[in-house]
Amino acid sequence: MIGRLWGTGTALLVASIILLSFFNYEIPTPLVYLTALAFFGGAGVFIFTRGLTIYVIKRCLGAVFVMWVIATLTFVLLRTLPGGPFDSEKALPPEILENLAKKYKLNEPLINQYGDYMYNLLQGDLGQSYKYINRGITSIIAESLPNSIQLGVYALIISYMIGIPMGILAGWKRGSWVDFSSMMVAMSGQSLPSFLIAPIFIMVFAKQLGWLEPALWEGPTYYIIPMVVLGIRPAAVIARLTRASVLEVIHSDYIRTARAKGLDQKTVLFKHVLRNSLIPVLSLSGPLAAAILTGSFVIEQIFAIPGIAKHLVLSVTNRDYPLILGTTLLFSLILVVANLVTDLLIAIVDPRVKMG
Amino acid sequence: MGASKTTGRSLQHEAWIALRKNKVAMVSGFLIIFVCAVALLAPWISPYPFDEQYLDQVLAGPSERHWFGTDSLGRDMLSRLIYGARISMAVGVITAFVSLIIGTAYGALAGWFGGWTDSALMRIIDILDSIPSIILLILVKLVFEAADIIGNPELKALTSMLLALSLVSWVSLARVVRGQVLQVKQMSYVEAARSMGASQLRMVAQHILPNILGPVIVLLTFQIPSNILAESFLSFLGLGLQPPYSSWGVLANDGWRSMSSYPHLMITPGVAIFVAMLAFNLLGDGLRDAFDPQMRGRA
Amino acid sequence: MVLFKSVFISCLIFTVGLTACTKKSNLEYGLDVKDTLRINIEQEPPSLDWSKAVDVTSSLVTNNLMDGLLEYNLADPELGVVAALATDWKASDNAKVWTFTIRKGVKWTDGVEFTGQHVIDGWERLLDPKVASEYAYFLFDVKNAKAFNGGKIKDFKEVGIKFNDEGQLVVELEKPMSFFPMLLTHHATFPVRKDLIEKHGDHWTDPDKMVSLGPYKLKLWDHDKNLVMERFDDYYGEKAKIKNILCYMINEYSTAMNLFEAGKLDFLYSLPFKELPILKTKPGFRKNILLSSYYYGFNIKKAPFDNVKVRKAFVHAVDRKQITDLLAADHTPMRGWIPPGMFGYEENRGLKFDPELARKLMDEAGFKDRAKVPRINLAFNTNENHQRIAENVQAQLKKNLGVEVQVQNEEWKVYLSRLRTDTPSIYRLGWLADFPDPSTFMSLMTSVSENNHTNWSSKKYDELVSEGGAALDKEKRRAIYSEAQKLLTEDEVPVMPVYAAARQVMISERTQNFPLNSIERYLFKGVSFK
Repeated sequence: MIGRLWGTGTALLVASIILLSFFNYEIPTPLVYLTALAFFGGAGVFIFTRGLTIYVIKRCLGAVFVMWVIATLTFVLLRTLPGGPFDSEKALPPEILENLAKKYKLNEPLINQYGDYMYNLLQGDLGQSYKYINRGITSIIAESLPNSIQLGVYALIISYMIGIPMGILAGWKRGSWVDFSSMMVAMSGQSLPSFLIAPIFIMVFAKQLGWLEPALWEGPTYYIIPMVVLGIRPAAVIARLTRASVLEVIHSDYIRTARAKGLDQKTVLFKHVLRNSLIPVLSLSGPLAAAILTGSFVIEQIFAIPGIAKHLVLSVTNRDYPLILGTTLLFSLILVVANLVTDLLIAIVDPRVKMG
Repeated sequence: MGASKTTGRSLQHEAWIALRKNKVAMVSGFLIIFVCAVALLAPWISPYPFDEQYLDQVLAGPSERHWFGTDSLGRDMLSRLIYGARISMAVGVITAFVSLIIGTAYGALAGWFGGWTDSALMRIIDILDSIPSIILLILVKLVFEAADIIGNPELKALTSMLLALSLVSWVSLARVVRGQVLQVKQMSYVEAARSMGASQLRMVAQHILPNILGPVIVLLTFQIPSNILAESFLSFLGLGLQPPYSSWGVLANDGWRSMSSYPHLMITPGVAIFVAMLAFNLLGDGLRDAFDPQMRGRA
Repeated sequence: MVLFKSVFISCLIFTVGLTACTKKSNLEYGLDVKDTLRINIEQEPPSLDWSKAVDVTSSLVTNNLMDGLLEYNLADPELGVVAALATDWKASDNAKVWTFTIRKGVKWTDGVEFTGQHVIDGWERLLDPKVASEYAYFLFDVKNAKAFNGGKIKDFKEVGIKFNDEGQLVVELEKPMSFFPMLLTHHATFPVRKDLIEKHGDHWTDPDKMVSLGPYKLKLWDHDKNLVMERFDDYYGEKAKIKNILCYMINEYSTAMNLFEAGKLDFLYSLPFKELPILKTKPGFRKNILLSSYYYGFNIKKAPFDNVKVRKAFVHAVDRKQITDLLAADHTPMRGWIPPGMFGYEENRGLKFDPELARKLMDEAGFKDRAKVPRINLAFNTNENHQRIAENVQAQLKKNLGVEVQVQNEEWKVYLSRLRTDTPSIYRLGWLADFPDPSTFMSLMTSVSENNHTNWSSKKYDELVSEGGAALDKEKRRAIYSEAQKLLTEDEVPVMPVYAAARQVMISERTQNFPLNSIERYLFKGVSFK
């Protein structure tokens, strides 16, 4: 009971932060602290009481290993790639190239450079950008990540808000026109690249109707088109999965029993079917986070949103080695954490799940 | 042993019967066959050569001469679309098969041997899963392309794209195959055969493969549209194919920026991508229902 | 039911909040649209440290924040040099020694008085090997500067810049240079405040720390998003007319265009070229020719381009006018090496389009049987525009010469590294003038130039170029460059000039006195609203 109350409270706190950020209100710092406390405290207590401590520690150690492999792999791939950070249309004289190489230690043996990078990484230093002279990678991330998280979270929420009701309705009324049409809509949403959906939305809602803004990232009227365009694909995936799992649950023995006992249809739906069919959907959060991360580059580019995905892609074009490595590691970290959180969430919702 | 074979065959047979009943899936199937036919017959059915430039007709809208208009070099859009089908389908299908081969072999290996091999192989998959696919795609594509393994520049761009896409997409297949193999391994007849001392290879070939065929075909069908999508994404990044050849992704990326002025540049490839991907997704859905005995007859 | 209720309630809050928020202040950061010029600078400026910045975006910003010893008269189509921080300048010893009189009474934004020492500090910093500035080569012609940058000389006192007894700055060059004053309009050579850089380190360009002396000062820098400049009221020259400049960093052209059409931008300088025919008819459209060159180079070490006749045949076979017509972007087709609008331009220099002569030359070169022509790659970096041009050239060569070439695109940095290591048979490059003097183009093809990837070298050409750079007499200079151009584009032909680019911009209707010019120096101090 306490657990449930705690969970609801934390969810409400998170929701209030998201709503405040959406409407561009200043988020009070105590609220952030409170939420963090509730979230991590709750998670800690849960992990401890369920005897998951060792499992979580193991996963974290595994994550560190994974990050190390990724850092190494990216480092090697980058250095195999022709073209250096200081190649430009106007070629530089050798004296200047040498000064630059000396400054950024690019003339040292690769193994030393790798060692230096790893050593600094261990101390939490991601280095300095080559392209954005004098800017630290950490500060670039600190300035652009919040916008990307905002975009990603909105997209995720909108996709759940559209996908779940649609999937439930389709599964519950299977075979009807509701089922058919909502599945067709979901499929259509999956069948167009977002860089084709975005201009259509801009054309209709910004240019023709004038309800929303065509680009930039300033307030609610700016947020809606990007988050919907980014959320369409995940929404479609969620809707289809929800439908499938609703179908499966409906045909399971205990629901049949419940129905046979003559329980009210709605009670069956909301008490039994929903809870059980949402578990597989929840387990999709990790891959969905990955999909949204990948998709956000296109959206950030088209809507001129100052986010981190843009850096991830453009830094390759600029051969800005520290920035590529930093953003890649960041994205990997997000993926790893998202997967861990998803697994823990499933454990919370479904006590039958065994971990470890 | 003979019994298991019959089960395998009848499973596929039953699936086929179920699929035939599914009208949406059948229509999608025919659409896909149509697109493939268009791709194969491109040189004979396209009204103009795909790279012929009609400089007096630059950026013209749809007309009697050019049904879908012309592009910024005055090339016929319909012909480019027809030739684009070739590349897009090739990218979608070849990549799917390459990742199928890698994924099945890998997954079957992990699932069959289990234990230490399994956990080592799965750790590698965990790592690949944690790299943002976008960076992997870009880096691998660029590294392959710059590596100068293939002399012909057009072929180079295409193969590097195929390789990059395959490398990113086999992982999910491997996971599914491993799960399936684990399941099949526990079935009583497989265990029986195993205890009777049947050779490993024979076991895999005779019992495992037929049993995992269904889910694999379904996955394959879903893999193709996501490859087409990934290809268009690479085009968006400016890492698409070599001119003058072009895929639907390249065409669509060419078009979207000027949507308000020259809608035909975006709409034609957009519709082509949309229809093909929808058809593959619907067919995949139909196949899944058909192969899953539990789901059969419920759609 | 709980789920549906909560969804419903959140939707309700959503809509209410939405209507509440539609009433917004008229611009971000509390700026008033009436005295704010809103421009798109396309990307985050990589650096506002003018000794280190190398790109267009950073230049655009720093040129409005700072002044140099001299500046261009933007009202003059030939872009003559006028006084700025130096009130007077003169050459002696046949343009090898230059003397500058420093302006008195100029104040930095923190109230400190500007002195000549700031200029020397700036040059020392630019040339310091530890700073590793990419534009250090701008001053390589100053005596001992190159050696100092290369670490061969440790003491900056040996570099050719010092005060004379009257407090004037005296610059001694390695060789005579008639166009030296032009270099002093470039931000790389601007003065710096050594004291502040030592105090703040790399953070001296932060808005709260940055000190400059130009018509505008840096007010705010919201990374990757916006940058705001505000009028500097104690500026020594004529004060800026518009109070604020709000810069957006939107690098998708079509997005910027959408915002312009929605009335949210006053100025953008890259237009989606496919839409030019449509944009041309709109009221804010403006264009001008840039001092630039788009060209193809031949790798003369690779067959068949080791044969000058083949090179000539290729140039004769490509109708450059057809390309510019196709692009419909007001570019000027070009046959010579010096672009139109620049001193030394000759309209009839270079090889004409003549397919018949081209075929004849090809036959004479021993390729009567075109199948014998070795495989030719025409390379360019991946870009829609370059692709259109390359494909058109490919088609023209096929039609006019009967030669099949293979177009080949590569990602930008891969392409650049290939130019260095294994230059393709035909490659594309462009050049935008650093300063409005032909020497910037002529020195491009000398044997010592890092930008000459053709493997072509000519002693005579090198001599002509250095002679031309030293000549003070205009007519003599013109004759020298004419001879060099003839050698380059008619006799030896290692390059095929294609066009001089035009820049198209959109300027909102309320904006006036916008100083468009051929070297893309966007100075906003004279701009005003109607």
